[in-house]
Amino acid sequence: PHPLRHPSPKSSISRNLPTGIPTTDVSSDLPGPLRRHLYSSSRVLFLTPRILIVDLLTRTLPASSPAGLIILNAHLLSETSTEAFIARVFRAANPAAYVRAFTDNAPAMVAGFGKVERVMRCLGIRRLALWPRFQVYVAEELESDPPVVVDVRVPMTRSMRGIQDAVVEVMGACLGEMRKTNKVDVDELTVENGLFKSFDEIVRRQLDPIWHTLGRKTKQLVSDLRNLRKLLDYLIRYDAVTYLRYLDTLRVSEGVRSIWMFTDSSHKIFELAKKRVYRLVHSRWEIGWQQQKNESGANSEMSLNEVLEESPKWRILREILEEIEEERRKKALPAEGGDEVLDVEFENDTVLVACKDERSCMQLEDCLKKGTHQVMQEEWGKYLLSKAELHSLQKQNKKKRRDPKGFGVLNGVVLPMPRENADATSVNKLEHYALLAAALQRRKLDKEMTGNSVELVAPSEKPGKLMGKSKMAKENKTGKANNAKGKKQADKLQASGSESEAHNDESTGEGISASTVTKGFQKYNQEVPASEPVPTKPIPSVHFYALERGYDILDVLRPSIIIVYHPDIAFVREIEVYKSENPSRILKVYFLFYEDSTELQKFEASIRRENGAFESLIRQKSSMMIPNDQDGDCPLIACSEGALTNSSTRKAGGRKEAEKEMQVIVDMREFMSSLPNVLHLKGMRIIPVTLEVGDYVLSPLICIERKSISDLFQSFASGRLYHQVEVMSRYYKIPVLLIEFSQDKSFSFQSASDLGDDVTPTSIISKLSLLVLHFPRLRLVWSRSLHATAEIFSLLKANQDEPDEIKAVRVGVPSDEGIVENDVRAENYNTSAIEFLRRLPGVTDTNYRGLMDGCESLSELALLPVEMLAELMGSKNAARTLRDFLDAKCPAML
Amino acid sequence: SSGSAVQSRNAILVSHRQKGNPLLKHIRNVKWVFADVVCDYLLGQTSCALYIRFFNCTSPFVVDTYIAGIGDNADKGKSVLLRYHLLHPDYLYFRIRELQKNFKLRVVLCHVDVEDVIKPLHEVTRTALLHDCTLLCAWSLEECGRYLETIKVYENKPADILQGQTDTDYLSRLNHAITSVRSVNKTDVVNLGSSFGSLSRIMDASMEELARCPGIGERKVSSSLESYFTVFINHW
Repeated sequence: PHPLRHPSPKSSISRNLPTGIPTTDVSSDLPGPLRRHLYSSSRVLFLTPRILIVDLLTRTLPASSPAGLIILNAHLLSETSTEAFIARVFRAANPAAYVRAFTDNAPAMVAGFGKVERVMRCLGIRRLALWPRFQVYVAEELESDPPVVVDVRVPMTRSMRGIQDAVVEVMGACLGEMRKTNKVDVDELTVENGLFKSFDEIVRRQLDPIWHTLGRKTKQLVSDLRNLRKLLDYLIRYDAVTYLRYLDTLRVSEGVRSIWMFTDSSHKIFELAKKRVYRLVHSRWEIGWQQQKNESGANSEMSLNEVLEESPKWRILREILEEIEEERRKKALPAEGGDEVLDVEFENDTVLVACKDERSCMQLEDCLKKGTHQVMQEEWGKYLLSKAELHSLQKQNKKKRRDPKGFGVLNGVVLPMPRENADATSVNKLEHYALLAAALQRRKLDKEMTGNSVELVAPSEKPGKLMGKSKMAKENKTGKANNAKGKKQADKLQASGSESEAHNDESTGEGISASTVTKGFQKYNQEVPASEPVPTKPIPSVHFYALERGYDILDVLRPSIIIVYHPDIAFVREIEVYKSENPSRILKVYFLFYEDSTELQKFEASIRRENGAFESLIRQKSSMMIPNDQDGDCPLIACSEGALTNSSTRKAGGRKEAEKEMQVIVDMREFMSSLPNVLHLKGMRIIPVTLEVGDYVLSPLICIERKSISDLFQSFASGRLYHQVEVMSRYYKIPVLLIEFSQDKSFSFQSASDLGDDVTPTSIISKLSLLVLHFPRLRLVWSRSLHATAEIFSLLKANQDEPDEIKAVRVGVPSDEGIVENDVRAENYNTSAIEFLRRLPGVTDTNYRGLMDGCESLSELALLPVEMLAELMGSKNAARTLRDFLDAKCPAML
Repeated sequence: SSGSAVQSRNAILVSHRQKGNPLLKHIRNVKWVFADVVCDYLLGQTSCALYIRFFNCTSPFVVDTYIAGIGDNADKGKSVLLRYHLLHPDYLYFRIRELQKNFKLRVVLCHVDVEDVIKPLHEVTRTALLHDCTLLCAWSLEECGRYLETIKVYENKPADILQGQTDTDYLSRLNHAITSVRSVNKTDVVNLGSSFGSLSRIMDASMEELARCPGIGERKVSSSLESYFTVFINHW
């Protein structure tokens, strides 16, 4: 068998295998004996590293049996990753077998010093093959019959442009501040780099070692930059309302701390984002919000006009689709008359639309189905409703106590931005009321519509609507100026906006199922005089695909037309390969870019990065020092004087005969981390089992609970650590809490200046002190790094007996449960879900098992009635607490 | 002197050996007095601490010699201490043995001044572990002082702040639960809350519904959320 690593590209691998070679996914659901059976058959096996290493160590899979090992996503590897561990164990027992590693992410292979070389070394691989796009053969192959490419540049609306400029400006300012700190390499600090996720890594890599010495401001800058990048990204992906909603929540959750929010540019961002959605105007119309009038005092002449700016790409997408359909019909016509059957295949084809994320896919699908106008209305409705909810919640709070301190930073929402003066405050208030009024109206409308009256007449008191409409149309027209395609139709289309949903196109298949709702809106909109029903043109059937899904959609769907809604370099490469694999197929690709946008800039930069990465790899390859081992294909491993001997250690028992092989019992869950790998490198024998108590058992006396720094803080907060230490102290003579720092981060908790003047219960020092006071037998071990931990383990093991596997497994297991031989379930607890469960109010160390036995999942738990909960938890009070928390109304913090 | 006995019960008793240790300046939240005690700091009826310090070289040092009148002059102190330690490599062991079994909690407070301390720290770790001492590491005088203060102040404190009773307001509890999901941050929690209305709705949401929530649309986030909600038993 050839074990493989990553599950995602495996479908394409299996498809490209010669037929007759069976492939199987090995998951841990399969009981041990069945896995053993699979391993001995000759087939291609797909495995996760975690299951593979455990099976290798327990010898469920004899290391000598596989013919070879293929590792995918090699760019994710490092010396300490489990794959390196696997390769080492595997090579030692099976020197004749091959190890291959693949990656398609060139930029990631040049991140960090000597990355390729290190990855190759840790896998014992000696040859590096590079296939850059610009390599002659590659280029020839891909360019012999390239797809037809249509590059569509969509202008952004003026507000979008304004927001983009402002965000970039703020970003520039943040980068400038960062530069002043002198903590990060200045060359890397460019807005262009800031567009990429890898920017965070660049910065963190440089700051981590000195993180504790940084002031709050620098730390905040790092997180601000991340938020700003998101803002640019979402500007292109989200509709105007959702974008505003996101900004609102960002202001709530980040507002107080963030630095950039108080700049003028950020003010501009918020203003423009709002303007894309609604405007406040002074009006004399009587609108039904008398209650508010009383509250707000005299001045209630503000009213709200909807703008609801639609994303320019929406319209373009529809136009392109219409055009495609039209072309097809034209082509199909002569085919009917004559007997040319050339394009029959072409005809029934589905158009593939590729977006970045699921959300965009769903929304675009809605846009085509229901019409863009309705989509905007729905988002707007949601927005207003959440505003209204917040308002009622605030009222309640005000009644309860004057100062709702519990919400911490959330108070920021209610208060106006500190920069704004008193005048602005009253405007803010008015705006708030206007929103509430609109929300009220919306709610009324919704009620009437769900009341199932199809003949419903829309509420007549909505003059504000009109203005909003006309504004929207105008704004879009300006943005449209230099659009390359089908301008005339577009105008019409836009004017009709809301009507498009009325005429459902046959190709989307889906009839209007939500007919009452749609009709309600239709009627409602007919009041708008400008809108005359314009027949929508038919569009072909469309398949939406989110790029982040990461499966080979092209080979599955085999489209001849692709619309790349959010251009992405990796997908471009996929398209190229797909085309050259299917040379007979006509392929047309549309790229939709916002003109002069960071989207475009990022795309172009990613091409440059790819090329640059390959160039650098080529240079590295030419100067690479590969140890030329006598074993030919089995060069072992630099870090590894230990590694080589160690592997033989596992069999023969000691690098020097005198030295006894050390054994460490390791909990299965720890194979997520690199420590088992490093311990093995040190020459210890690793015994993977499922431990109820502790993570590592070094001797009959010593049991270790290992915490990384973030784990430490988290498990202190959840109370989990207390429990863990408690049981460990109950069963072991020397219970140890190992606090493990990360090699590339500073070796300390905090800087002296962060300490504060008083003893505070929240401080880590207080918690540790209290812990040692309550568990005086608990030993603390402070480790600088993974490698230091391994060192300490062997120190501690000196003069101790070897641990007993069978005893260790039984420790702490309630006696009536007993141990089921080969219980796969035990290995597979979704520890994170359980952590989530245990953090819920009412859930305790004693009752969470009952809950897990009573329901399969958290989502099932969410639906259990309180009586059931009481039964499972063994306490009515606890059940009540939990149920109340689950059902409590989340404050809508807009 | 009975009066001073009462007083000394509320104070940290500091060994005369520690005279001149700049650490003392940072014990501010509790009283301390010099006294004839075997340990360096007597923190309570049953707890005591020994203080050791790493300087910028490869061995641990002791501050015993403050008594020799070196005072605050750190530079001068260093050289003396170095020599002292070289003469007494088993210093820590002797000091621990001296304590006998009189204390329930015996802390070795280790002041780590510099980065390159791995070897000597391992030595200290091993000695402490094998001789029933609890090792606490601190990276500044302030931190050292704070540990001593805290252990004194918390002498009779129950463990409830360790048992997971965190902030009781709804939002922090919600944050606490949901941020256990990797790659979910506080902004996401706010978004989830306002989109779904209650935690039970969030937990019962489908992948699609989750993905529609702004900010959660990233596949990484929505799919990890979903996997949290759909199984207690994993398939890795």
